[in-house]
Amino acid sequence: MTIFADWKIGLATLIIGTIVGYLGQRSRFCTISGIRDFFLVKDSYRLKGLIGIVIGGVIGFALVNKLGGTLSSFTKPGGWQFMPMLKAGLNVTPSILIPLSAVGAFFMAYFSVMAEGCPFRQHIMAGEGRLSGIIYIAGLVLGVVFFDVVIQPYLLLLTLRFPA
Amino acid sequence: MDQANISPNVKSPRWKPSFKLGGNMALITGITMGLLAAAVQGYFGLQPPAGDGICAISHPANIVNWLVNNLTGWVMGFFHAAGTKFTIHSIFVTVPVLTSVGFIIGSFIAAKKNKEFKLRRGPVRDNALAFILGFLIINFGLLWGSCPIRTAILASYGMFWAILMLGMIVLGVVVACLYIKWKVRRTQ
Repeated sequence: MTIFADWKIGLATLIIGTIVGYLGQRSRFCTISGIRDFFLVKDSYRLKGLIGIVIGGVIGFALVNKLGGTLSSFTKPGGWQFMPMLKAGLNVTPSILIPLSAVGAFFMAYFSVMAEGCPFRQHIMAGEGRLSGIIYIAGLVLGVVFFDVVIQPYLLLLTLRFPA
Repeated sequence: MDQANISPNVKSPRWKPSFKLGGNMALITGITMGLLAAAVQGYFGLQPPAGDGICAISHPANIVNWLVNNLTGWVMGFFHAAGTKFTIHSIFVTVPVLTSVGFIIGSFIAAKKNKEFKLRRGPVRDNALAFILGFLIINFGLLWGSCPIRTAILASYGMFWAILMLGMIVLGVVVACLYIKWKVRRTQ
C-alpha cells in the first residue's frame, strides 16, 4: 500500500520536528545568532550548534550509508551540481541561477539578523508564545504564496523555459 | 589561588562526566539534528531533494503549497483560475511534510513543561516589521531553496554550492552586524 508508505513520511517528519523543536527550545539554538554572537561579542555557545550540524551530518551520512540506507551523494562528478528547490520545482539548468541563489542566501542572512533569529528559531519563538514570532510565521505563509504567484514566472522567463 | 575564593560563581573548567543533558546544549542539538536528518532520509524515504531532512524554509513552503493545492473552495478556485499550480517536492505531493508544525508543537511542549510559556511581545518591537521580515526572508530563502540548517547539512554531505552559500550566509550576517554597529554609532 503506497498510501501507508506516504503517511510514514508525514509521521516521521512530525516526530522529528517535535524532537528537534523540544531540543531547540531548551538550548536556544539558532544558526544566524550563532554567527552574529561570535562576530559581535565573541560568544561561541550558539556557533557550536552550527558546527554540531556539520559534525552530525558527516557522522549520519557515513553511518546511514554504512548501515544499508541510501543517501544521494554530491561527491560524484555530475552529482554535485544540484540545486535543491529550484531544479526540483522548475526544471532549469542550475548554473544560470547560482548568482541569484547567492543573492538569496545573502539577503536571507541579512534580514534574519534584523529579525533576531533564523527561520527555525522563529518557529521556536512562535511556539513559546512570542508575538513577533507568530506574526513572522504569518508573513512567511503569505510570502510563499507571493513567491509562487509572482516570482516563479519571472524565474522561468530568466531561464528561457516557458511553462506549457 | 586567592582569586578562586573571591569569585565563587566562576565554575572550574575541569570536565566532569555526567549523564544529565547539560554542557553545551546547542552542540548536542546540532549533532542530533544532523543525525536525525540523515536517518529520516535514509530510512523513511525523503529522498529526491537531497539533504532535505530538516529545513525551515522549504518545508513550510511545501506545506503551504500542499494546502493551497488540495483545499477545496475559494482558495483553490482563485489560484486555479489564475492558472497556477504550486510546485511541491515530489515526495510530499500526497502527504504534507509536517516538520514545521512539529517545531512549533515541540517548543510549545518544552515551554509548557518548564513553565516558560507566556504570550508576550517578541524580540522585534514593531509587529508590522516582523511581518515584512518574514515575507522577505521566505522569498529570498526560496531563491536559494534552503534555510541555514539545511545549507549546513548539504555542506556536510559535500555539496560545493552549499559551502559557497554558507559563506554567503556568513557574509550576510557580518554585513548586517556592521550596519547595526554603524547605525548605533551614528545615533550616539
